[in-house]
Formats: sequence, C-alpha cells, structure tokens
Amino acid sequence: MNTIEVKELRRIYKTNIGVIRRKVKEIVAVDGITFDVNRGELFGLLGPNGAGKTTMIKMLTTLLIPTGGTAKILGYDVVDQANEIRSRIGFIFGGERGLYWRLSGIDNLRYFASLYHVDPEVTMKRIPQLLELVGLSDRGEEKVEGYSRGMKQRLHIARTLLHDPEILFLDEPTMGLDPVGGREIRQVIRDLQSEKKTILLTTHYMFEADALCERVAVIDQGRIVALDTPEALKQVVSDLSVIEIEVFGVPEEILNQIRNLPFVDTVSVEDLDQKQALHVHSAKGSEAIPPLLSALEGVRVGKVTVREPTLEDAYVRLVGGKV
Amino acid sequence: MKPGMMKAYVHVIKLTFIFTLKQSMTDAFILFGIFVQPLLIAIMALFILGDQGDGLVIFIVVGSGLTGLWDSVLFQSGNSITRERWTGTLEALVGMPTPLAVIVFGKNLAFVTQSLSSMIVAYAFASIIFGYPLSIEAPTLFIISVVMTVLSLVCLGLVLATLFVLNPDVQRWQNGLEFPVFILAGFLFPIAILPQWTTPLSYILAPYWAAVALHMSSGGKPDILEISVPWAMMALLGVLYLFLAFWLFRKMLFKARVDATLSGQ
Repeated sequence: MNTIEVKELRRIYKTNIGVIRRKVKEIVAVDGITFDVNRGELFGLLGPNGAGKTTMIKMLTTLLIPTGGTAKILGYDVVDQANEIRSRIGFIFGGERGLYWRLSGIDNLRYFASLYHVDPEVTMKRIPQLLELVGLSDRGEEKVEGYSRGMKQRLHIARTLLHDPEILFLDEPTMGLDPVGGREIRQVIRDLQSEKKTILLTTHYMFEADALCERVAVIDQGRIVALDTPEALKQVVSDLSVIEIEVFGVPEEILNQIRNLPFVDTVSVEDLDQKQALHVHSAKGSEAIPPLLSALEGVRVGKVTVREPTLEDAYVRLVGGKV
Repeated sequence: MKPGMMKAYVHVIKLTFIFTLKQSMTDAFILFGIFVQPLLIAIMALFILGDQGDGLVIFIVVGSGLTGLWDSVLFQSGNSITRERWTGTLEALVGMPTPLAVIVFGKNLAFVTQSLSSMIVAYAFASIIFGYPLSIEAPTLFIISVVMTVLSLVCLGLVLATLFVLNPDVQRWQNGLEFPVFILAGFLFPIAILPQWTTPLSYILAPYWAAVALHMSSGGKPDILEISVPWAMMALLGVLYLFLAFWLFRKMLFKARVDATLSGQ
C-alpha cells in the first residue's frame, strides 16, 4: 500500500456570472490526476499559479470534496474517512494566515497541540524542541503579530509537527519569503526528510523542487504533464541550450516574432525591476544569438549568455512557456 | 466516541476558553458591547425608572447586564466561525481531529462568561455613582440561574454561528435581531405589556427564561418550585439548541467542503 494513492482525481468549481441573467460557470481545477507517493518519499507538485496544486493538496487534506475520482491517505478515503486521516497528517498552506496573531508563538503551539489531542505534558516538552528546530527559540514568547513572514511560516511548520504526523503536506512553504528565509525553510524540510517523513510539497520554484524532491509531478491546467525524478525531467531539454538575453522593455510583437523563429523552441520572460530576461530555448546554442539579436533590433539589449538547461527549463518546455 | 476523548475535549474547551479571553481583552468592539453599551442602557433606564424604588433598580441592573449578554451571543458567538474564516484559521481548525463544534463551544463559553462582566459593571455603576443600596435577594438561586443562563446561551450561540455561515442573508439581519430580543425576552420590562401573540416567540428564546430566572432570584426570594420552571426551560431549550447545532454543523461543514468556502479567500 502506498502512503498516498490518487486515482483520476477531479475537482470542478462552480461560480455564478452575470447580474440579471445569472449563469453557472464551471472551472476545472484538477482534471483526472493519478499518482502515488511512497512511504518516506519527498514528492513535489510543480506548476504555474492556477495549475491546480493547492486544490489538489486541499482535497488530500480532507478540506475539499473531490468532484470525481478517489484519493486515499494511508488507505483511508479522503471523503468518507476524513477523521481517520486528520490525526495522521500535518499541513501548511503558504502565507501568513492561519495563526492567532494576538497570541504568542508558544500559546499558538499549546492551543493547536490540544486540538491534535497531544497530551499536555508531551506538549510542554515538544514545544521547545520544535521552536529549536524552526529557529524560533528566542522569540516564542512574543506575540505572532510582531513576527516577520518567514517567522510565521516557520511557526506554521512547528505547528504542523506538534502531533508527530506520518505525512506532511506543504503548500508553497517558501512563498513570498526572502532568500535567507526560503533557505531556512528548505533546511527544515531537509531535516524532516532525514526523519523519513512522507512529504508532499507544492511549489512553483523549480530550484526548490530540484533541490528537495525525489520525484516531481509537473501540473498544468489541472493535468499532470510529466512525472519523474528531477534528473529524468531535465532530459526533456537535454537537446536544448538556453540563451538568456537581458532587455529593457520588449514589445509583445517582437516577442511573438522570436517565438515564431524556426529554431526557437520556447520563450519565457522574467521581469527584473527595470529590465527583463528573455530565456530562449533552442537546439542551435550560441549560433542562435545573431538572428535573435536581429529580431530584437530597436530594443535596448544588455548581457547575453548561453547555458545548459535546468529543471526550470524542462518545466518551461512542459508547460509551454507559461511562467 | 473513543475512550479518553471526553477528557481531550474538556482540555480543548479549557484552552479555547483561556486563549479566546486573552485575545478578546484587547478588542475595542467587544469591550464596547460588554462595558459601554450596557452602561448607557443602565443610565437611561435609571434616569427614567430609578425613582420607582430600589426593587426596580436591581431589575434594571440585571436587565441591562442581560443586554450585554445577548449582544455577546449575537455578535461574538454568532460570528465565531465567520471570524475564523476571516483570519484564515478555519481551514486549520477543520483539518484537525477535534470537532469544530467543540472548539466553537469553548469560544462561545468564553464570550458569554466575559459578557457577565457587563452585569457587574452595571451593578457597580448603580451602586457607586447613583448610590442605590443593591442586594441580590437569593444569591444561591441567582448563581445557579447565571450558570444555567451561560450554558443555554452558549448552545444558542452554536446555532447562530452555523446559521450565519450557512445563510449569509440571515447575517445581514444580525443588527436587526438585537433590540427585538431585548424586548421579547423582557430584559427591561415584563413581556405582559406586549401583545399576546408575541408570547410564544418569547417562550422559545432561552434569553427570556434567563431573564425570568435572574430577575426572580435577584429581586425576590422565589421558592424552588417557582424558579425550577425557567431553569427547566433553559435546560430543555439548551438541549434542543444543541441537537439543532449538531445537525447544522454537519450540514455546514459538508457544504463548505463542497463549495470550497473554508478559506474565505
């Protein structure tokens, strides 16, 4: 038996549109997803915003009822046996919400431990250990409203470990954190991984999936477009090179021209304050630079580099440049 | 229920009670509803009716305290689930092994207990500022009545909390429910002066029986049989509210999981 078994899972949201003639519009968030996660595995769900990652994790944590398909956690059905699952899992959703800001970090942990039915004596021993683990030992008695975003996120992780769950669901745990905060959270996740916890992580940071996950499912528009180890996924783009071109304000029509060049596989644009970085995937490598610069005539161009593809590039190719 | 669960639930209720009080002590809206509004009502009533004897003054003190109690049930207990949704904690609470109803029970217990202080404030105000000699005629019966009041109103708060989530249209009428209950429950004057057709409405409200028991035990020395009637009615209505709340919680949680409305985003 796998720890997490997902078969043909579907979730449709219904929303009303119009004022006088109201119509029900259906949005397919998860469209027939199937995968398994093994005991002790760190499994990643990778996809752009709106791909269906959070919907997926909410169904697996019993907070949303699927429209179709089945999902089992430790053999328990997420719809009919939700109570059996809830005491065995821990979950965090990205962001700062979900804590009591007017209470201290320690009070938050004491309270959530009681909701998980952790013995009060065990709670009092475990809280200092968890605060140590997430690096909040010296701030535990302060009110959460004074915490930075990263500290709140670390407190969320401590909260989710109070009852020593077998499985952890971490939804975008480093979302919105500065590089230092993100690195600290990833270190905590690595520590948990070494304790053989089963972890399902969602992220849209490719380097994070690459650094942490044993297997990754790439999701786009509610469907899995690839599922493999990060190394195997990188093979998707092994035939390509990535040309990175720094530009200062590139019009959409020029971007479309570049996309239509015969030797260009995909193009993605990264906004960097005053400038943008074009990531052009091409099998031609450095030979593609002159025609690309010709296409960019009239646009102020900065640095141009060619590099080997990463998991991020594989991901961009799989989701068709939608990042 | 698994063995040992009751002990775990009691611990949850205790901590929910403590931490809810800790948080609400700094909330200006809550403090206004508990301290300022009952005080204003008490001042108004004391100026209008205060010269009609000390017996009426204790009626006013208890009655204005009851207005604070009802405000707490209506606005605090009634919004206890909605507030968790706004702060983003509802998903975390629902995803835990403790039933949400147990958590909300603890919260409502804190709100109703906290609002009892409005009665103490009104009492102190009438006694110190207006100089009325005030005494509770049957203190033991009064304390039992207070306990029965708290428990029955906590159960009513569970019903309101789920109704306000299930049907946001009802919540829009929340303010409109404040004064009609002041009147129907006879907080500041007897319901005998109201049209007769309103009497059945008063009878299904635990706040009415709370007012009867508290007025009876504070203003006189009723015999045990006499005061057993409002106590029994509070117990009966409390159990009925509890069953209704249990059903509504199941319905609400299932609907929220289908409609994806737990996160409030």
